[in-house]
Amino acid sequence: MNRERIERELTILRDGGQLAELVVNGEPVVLYRNVPTDGERYGLPAVTDVVVPVPSGYAAAAIDLAGLPAGSPLLPRLKGGTNVQRVVSVDGRQWQLVSYHPHNGGGGPPWDQMKHGFHTYFDHLIAWLHRIC
Amino acid sequence: MLNHEYPNVMRRSLLLRVADPEFGTLEKLVFRRYPDQEWATFAQFGWRETPEALVVTLASIDAPIEGDLNELVSHVAIDEQYTLRMALNAEKHRLGVGVIHSHPKGGIPLPSSIDDDMDTYYSRYFADFAPGRPYVSLILSNIDGRLVISGRAFVGNQWLVLEHTASERRPIDTWRGGRCPTAQILESDRAARLVSAFGEEALSRLRNSSVAIIGAGGTGSAAIEVLARAGIGRLVVVDPDHIDRSNLERVHGAYPKDADDSTPKVLVAARHVEAIDQSIRVEALLGRLPQSDVVDAVVTADVLLGCTDQQHSRLALSDLAFRYLLPSIDCGVVLEGKEGAITGQVAQLVRFRASDPCALCREMINSERIKQELMSDEERAERKQAAKDALERGDDPNPYWHDQPQINTVGYLTTSVGAMVAGYAIGWVTKRFDTPFERLQMNFVAKYLDVTDMAQNQRSECACGKFRGWADQASADSLISAPDHWSRVQNLSRGDAQRAK
Repeated sequence: MNRERIERELTILRDGGQLAELVVNGEPVVLYRNVPTDGERYGLPAVTDVVVPVPSGYAAAAIDLAGLPAGSPLLPRLKGGTNVQRVVSVDGRQWQLVSYHPHNGGGGPPWDQMKHGFHTYFDHLIAWLHRIC
Repeated sequence: MLNHEYPNVMRRSLLLRVADPEFGTLEKLVFRRYPDQEWATFAQFGWRETPEALVVTLASIDAPIEGDLNELVSHVAIDEQYTLRMALNAEKHRLGVGVIHSHPKGGIPLPSSIDDDMDTYYSRYFADFAPGRPYVSLILSNIDGRLVISGRAFVGNQWLVLEHTASERRPIDTWRGGRCPTAQILESDRAARLVSAFGEEALSRLRNSSVAIIGAGGTGSAAIEVLARAGIGRLVVVDPDHIDRSNLERVHGAYPKDADDSTPKVLVAARHVEAIDQSIRVEALLGRLPQSDVVDAVVTADVLLGCTDQQHSRLALSDLAFRYLLPSIDCGVVLEGKEGAITGQVAQLVRFRASDPCALCREMINSERIKQELMSDEERAERKQAAKDALERGDDPNPYWHDQPQINTVGYLTTSVGAMVAGYAIGWVTKRFDTPFERLQMNFVAKYLDVTDMAQNQRSECACGKFRGWADQASADSLISAPDHWSRVQNLSRGDAQRAK
């Protein structure tokens, strides 16, 4: 895992006011805190924490998937949210990873490690959390 | 004051790596007042500390401007303004700082008392501005038309003496402590044909050089055999796999018993080299690039050869080429055809010099394939299951898993290409000939072999054009990192096959 690179990307987010941290006890993930959603007008949470697994060999391998707290009412209303993957334990909580693949046919550009990272993945998460159905 | 005999130096070695265009610039600069007077420049160095060596890499030249050096004296006299500018600059970057100067024509690169004073002063001075970084001092001389270098580095409050210089193109002789090395007595009977073609000096260069080979399968084992027979001094062999029956068709030195015993490929290679020449030092590493222990071993080699069909290995190879100035050649072969009809027997050799485009810029990396290679077995199984589930739902399975085609190859192809790549490594190590290609492809069953060469460019945003020679100081910009789930590297050089099983 390229910790230095990930920390540099997260610093970009933190400088912009978004809290995000690398959590490495267990499967390494990036935990984005209080990410805004479009849920309020559907009576759903207006913010949520999101975890994204750090892919093996990062940054050679593309970032993929996203996870919300297990049981989050947002899950069934998000694209791919009913297509559940594995559950991971992070920060004392259980997280449900779901099928979200922006860099692999999911609407985003193909992975380019010179341009993309956990800071740009945040933009995809925002878009995802604002397409509630 | 330093003593020329270096009584207090550590016995850990110092290795210098240089490459063009920085070295070409340096040579022109420090010999500016050649042949009678000296000249100097500050420079920046990347570095990596391994258990056995400090490897320093020439990253950039901070050439003097008018008034920085005193033109009126024949020796090097650096003005305070130049020193202060470099010190303040060091606070803004993360590289090591050093001084490189020339000695006049014919003058040996033995540090003078003025050089000792300068190094003593600078090693302490720069430690204040660049704490924890090495201070490097190098002396270049031209003796009888040969480029000779000596040097030392101050790090961790101790001096290390330059033992070896790995130069990408220009032949450079390293004189430890500034003194001419004792002539070696070389047993040249076995290499008589090579000596008659390349000269005695080529054999000496081979004996004092090392080549790292990633992959000890078909191509790797052929390359290892050629290098061993040519008389290379040291081989670093890296492979995570063990011999199975299907390898016996192409792995040099492997026998049916190795398949029965599941012998590590690196041990087969070590045993085969020992049978050819016991004096060759072989480091046999059960592991993969870019695991840290593997990088430690290969960055001390003169040349790196990539002999695997793995994309992560290819990407790591090109990463090491630009960050550590480690000239590399990647090779691969593929047999094309179906239902018994062979339509292509294609070989590819790709040169990765420090200033060449990396594997990403050359579009050699399939992001999906590399992701699959880097996954753990559990994740791979999970992804395959998810793809199966997606198919059953009528969804696209590709975001989860996409089967990659098996790359077929045969022994005569791997041996041919392994021998070729070893030949170019010999050319690089002896400085007798160069690779006449950047990215060579040929088809063994096409008329005139269908040879193509492809010149490609670095992408402006890519790390390969920005961090040449930055070594560990650009680790955040490395193209690939080793997955945590990979098994720990085992050095089998002093172990045995049983321990590896």
